[in-house]
Parts: sequence; structure tokens; C-alpha cells
Amino acid sequence: MKSGIFAALLLVAMSASGAFAQGAPIKLADVAELSGGGATVGNNWKNGIDLAIEEINAKGGLLGRKLEVTHADSQSNPGVARAQVQKALDNEPYVLLGPGYSGSVKVTSPLAAEAGITQIMGGEAAELTQGGNKFLFRTSFGQQSSMPKVAKYVNDELKAKSVAIVWVNNDFGKGGRDVMTKEFAKYNIKVAADISTEAGQADFAADVSKIKAAAPDAVFIYLNEEESARILKELKRQAIAVPLVGETTLVGQKVVELAGDAANGARGHVGLTTDAPVDLVKAFREKFVKKYNYVPDHNGLKGYLAIYMVKATTEKMGKVDAKKFADTLHGLTIKAASEPGILMDVTFDEKGDIDRQGFLVEIVEGKQVVKQVLPKLN
Amino acid sequence: MTVKGKYLRIALGIVVIGALIIVPMNFNRYGLYILSQWAVMTIAAMGLNLTLGYAGQVSLAQGAFVGIGAYAAAIMTTQGMPLIAALSVAVVLCFAIGWILGYPALRVQHHYLAFVTLAFSTLAFLVFRNEDWLTKGIYGISNIPRPNVMGFATNRPLPFYYFCLGSLGIVSLAMWWLIRSPWGRAFIALRENPVRALSLGIDTRRYTLMAFAIGSALGGVAGTLYAPLTQYIDPVPFNLSLSLDLLMMVIVGGSGFFFGPFLGAMIAVLLPEWLRFTQGYYLMLYAVAVMLLLIYSPTGILGILDRYLAARRTKAASALRAVTKSKLETAS
Repeated sequence: MKSGIFAALLLVAMSASGAFAQGAPIKLADVAELSGGGATVGNNWKNGIDLAIEEINAKGGLLGRKLEVTHADSQSNPGVARAQVQKALDNEPYVLLGPGYSGSVKVTSPLAAEAGITQIMGGEAAELTQGGNKFLFRTSFGQQSSMPKVAKYVNDELKAKSVAIVWVNNDFGKGGRDVMTKEFAKYNIKVAADISTEAGQADFAADVSKIKAAAPDAVFIYLNEEESARILKELKRQAIAVPLVGETTLVGQKVVELAGDAANGARGHVGLTTDAPVDLVKAFREKFVKKYNYVPDHNGLKGYLAIYMVKATTEKMGKVDAKKFADTLHGLTIKAASEPGILMDVTFDEKGDIDRQGFLVEIVEGKQVVKQVLPKLN
Repeated sequence: MTVKGKYLRIALGIVVIGALIIVPMNFNRYGLYILSQWAVMTIAAMGLNLTLGYAGQVSLAQGAFVGIGAYAAAIMTTQGMPLIAALSVAVVLCFAIGWILGYPALRVQHHYLAFVTLAFSTLAFLVFRNEDWLTKGIYGISNIPRPNVMGFATNRPLPFYYFCLGSLGIVSLAMWWLIRSPWGRAFIALRENPVRALSLGIDTRRYTLMAFAIGSALGGVAGTLYAPLTQYIDPVPFNLSLSLDLLMMVIVGGSGFFFGPFLGAMIAVLLPEWLRFTQGYYLMLYAVAVMLLLIYSPTGILGILDRYLAARRTKAASALRAVTKSKLETAS
């Protein structure tokens, strides 16, 4: 009798350890801007990742194995990011997630490529995917794919001959401004004023005066959310009536909340937004708000999508294989119908750039109204 | 006692140096990167220790000099020039700019001087960011090569760490010599009492400028190592917070102590890494630890040691005095 119990216990223990060996968690490593200048970016990204992992694990994990992620803080400093990515790679993760700042991506992507580990990141600078790195993937449009759409709109729909560009002087703003200036040149649209502003700037009176003096046909605004709201208010105060165009940030929900009436009439291209008129995105937003009590920006979406990219790619391979991961993801199309977590159909090309539908929206009476859906190219 | 103490110190030094060479051989790439960072930051902090700890001039511009050195190295080595050429340019440039920046120090002191150097720090950041043609602006400079030292490539983490450690060794020896030379004594005289120093015939004007210039040049040396260490630089790491970090390293380690910057940089670079297991709290805990240390010992870590040694000496002296006194009393 006693020995029977003992044998049963032994059997339980053995089967448990067997299950453990088979179902050891899949390790992911995230390095993000959790403190410093990029804290909003990094924390949104991190929360998106945690939400997606929680969902997947609640449904039994990925191929029967739990996902596990470690978050490391880059302090928004490329030097620290490099150290943390090195540390993450030394532990041989399945996939590396982050960072969000383009500079930090530039310093870390050669390390991941050398280790042969796929890096899914949040940076949007055009040049990141142009160096032939086979292990680097975006989660959102690079500026080289979003800006041409805005320029086309300014030329075809607004028929503007001259524009003023207002941009924030960091790698995000400068990158967008540089691509945009080139695009405008293609349409022979004159840049009447080229205005650089600081991150966190509070007073835009002088900048708006310059726009007024230049008398452009349209204004292209590429600032972070808070600053976008401030400049919209100032533009209204100085009674500038020409069309105001932006990309993602200008027409975000936060800007509408902060700027109030002044946001009406603002329009722009949106690639990834929680305001997208897509049911899956709306459901994501509700889940996120329920868990964290705030509405995420596009970085929250990017982090969430990164995890579902891992899931879809792994299921496609049918096994957890870090070596083949990047090869499988290149050229892969993930449909929202079969993988709801990806939210919108998406295709990854050979460079790691993405193709997904986008939206042209306008703020009408404090609400985002989709004027045009820009379909996926392929 | 003193002879024994001297041998003890030499033995301790050899053990520490030996450990710095042998122990990291088994480190992973992350550990080597952090140790290399420690060596580089120690050099920058030594420069500031000379300006602040020995000559008594508060500077919030050391981070900017590290930036100047880093940009000199990044720009020149990506153009195919050797790192040694970049090093010479960085040292000369930082020395000259440090000398010029020293002029306000002749007119203003303490926090006023801190403000002047703070303005310079901001100016340097704006130049790094806005002068695209030279610094590639906010995009930064990538693919910075690591140097070949006497035919040895330092691309791998371990050789590069030895390169940083070797540089730290050379700088330490030079510093050791400097503060024991008449110049070093003049710097200390300047800190302790500038009027008396002047009355003793020390050209305080020249030595103030010199302290600034040499300290800044060491910032440049650290910068030329920082660029190949990270292999990518943009303006953000060289803003005011680096200057404040370096200032903290000097003060926490023990300002005016030779080994202060070594310990200070160790605290500033390694302590946050050790505390990372606490996740979101690590920067908070780090800040609290630094505050508690400075409350306990305003003169830094080496201040604690200094206090202990002084107390022991006082105790020994008073014991001796008591013995002598009792002897005198019995004699009378």
C-alpha cells in the first residue's frame, strides 16, 4: 500500500518533469526606453507586450509553451541600450524586442544580426531597414512609406503650391522632415518655411508668426502629441486658415482632447492608431484601457503587434526555431482573419519593412473621421 | 609601521590590477562592456577630479568635453584616419577650449562658475545636434571602427577592454605624477587658499586655467575611447546629465582623493546594473543609496576611510600622550 502511494507519487513527479521539459517557457527579451526622454514610448511598448503575452499564455501559450519576457531599461541612451541588448543576447533569447528610438536601434541591430537573433523594433527612421540587415523588422510604417502618401494628398487633393513644415528636432521629427522635403520637391511644391522646434516646447507664438509671414497654401506639422495640441491652439489664435496636415500624431485622440476646438479641420495620414475604424483595434483599445487605465498611443499597438508577429511566425514554422525565424518572417503575410491579434492584415518584405492599410482622416467637430482608406499595396 | 604599510599598499595594488586583468577573461560580452565603460568614465572623472577636487573649480562641462572627444574620434576614424590622430586632435582641442572656458573661472567662483560651464555644456550639445554637415546631427554617426593597437585588432570585447584598461593605466600614472609635481601642489594651494597661494608666488591665474585645460583634455581622452566602445554616437548622451553624472562620480568617490574617481565611476556605472533585478525601482534605489551615502559621509567613500584612519591616528597619538604624561608624572 505504502509502496503503491510512493510509486504513484513517483509517476506524478516524472510526468510533471516530463511536461516541464517539453513546455519550458519561450524566452523573449525586451530592451526599451523605460526612463529618460523616451519613457512614454518605452512604457507604452512594454505594456503592449505584456498585454499580448498575458493573452497568449491565458490561452495555453505558443505551441503549448508559455511566453516569458524580460524588460530592460535603456534610459533612452544608445550607450546603455547597447549594454542591455548585449546582456539580453548573452542569454540567447528567442527574439529580441525593441528598442523604440531609432538611434538605439542603430547601435544595437548589428549586435543582434551578429548573434543571428531576430530583432523586432519600434524605430521609424527610413534608413534603419536600408542597410541590408536580415534580422531587423519594423512594427509600423517607416517614414519612407508613410510620408509619400501625405505628400501625394497635399498635391492631389489640396493642390498646394507652397507649404510650411514644422518639425520637432529629434530623430523622429528630423527623419520625417527630411523625407517630406524630398517628396515635396518631386511635386515641385515649394517649402515656404522650414521651422525646427524643441521637444517639450510650450510656446509656439514665434513659430506661428513665421508661418503667417510665409503665407503658405498648407502647413505640415510633425510634432509629438502635446506639442501638436499647443501649436494647433496657437494657429487658431493667430487665425491661420490654410489646411493643416500631419502624420499619425497630429490627428491622434490625445491631440483632440488637449486642443479642443482648435483641432477641428486638422487632417493627416494615420498608419497605426487606436482610433482606427477597425473592430479588432477598438477591442484592443478596450482591453488595454481596462488593464492600464489609459489610452495607449501607437507605441502600445506596436508592442502588442510585435508579440503577435512572434506568434504567427512560430506557428507558421510549427516549431520554436530562432535560426529560421527571420527567414520565415520575410515575405510572410499575416491575416487578421486567422490571427486576430495582428489586428490588420500585414505583409513583411525582404527588408523587414511592412505593408498594411492606412487611413486619411480629418478632425470634424472633435471626432476623427476617416476620409479615405489607403489600401494595402499587395 | 610605515614601511610595512607601504608594502601592504603595493601588494594590494598588484592584487587589484591583477584581478582587473585576469578575472574578466571569463566574463561575457555584457560584463566586458560594462567594465570598459567603467574604465572610460573613470578617465573622464579623473579629469574632473583634477579641476574640482584638486583645484577647487566647479565644472558642469565635463560631459561636453567627453562629447567633443567622442565626435573627434567618430568623425576622424570613420574617414579612415587612425584613432591616435583623433586622440591628439581631441586632446589639443579640449585643452584649448578648456583653457578658454577657464577665463570665466578667474572672475566668478562656485555656483556662478557652475552656471557658466552649464551654458557651455548646452552650447556644445546644440552644436553636436544642429551642425549636420559635421556631426550628422540627430541621426548620429554609426559604424565607428575599433582601433588596431600595435598590430592587434580590438574588435572583440576582451581586447577592447584591455585597450581601455591600458589607457586608464597610462592616464593614472600621468595623474599620479602630476599631483605629486609642483603643479599638483600649486593646484591644491589654489583650492585651499588662493590669496595665500598668490602671496607665496604661485601664479593663480595660470594654474586655474591649467587645471581647467588639463581636466578638460582628460574628458577628451575619455571621449575618444567612448566612441569606439559604443561604435555609434548621437548628441543625446552628451547632454547635461552626463556632466552631472561625472560630477556625482567625483563627489561620491571622494573629491580630491586620487582613487575617488575609480570608486565613484564604479558606483555610477555598476550600482544601477546590480540593482536592475528590482525592475522599475532600480533608478530610485540608486538615487536613495547615493543620498544616504552623502548624508553619512559628505566627503564620499574615501572620506569614510580617511575619517577612520584619522581616528585611528588620533587614538594612537592620545594613547602615546597618556603614556608619556604618566611617565612625566612619576618622574616628577
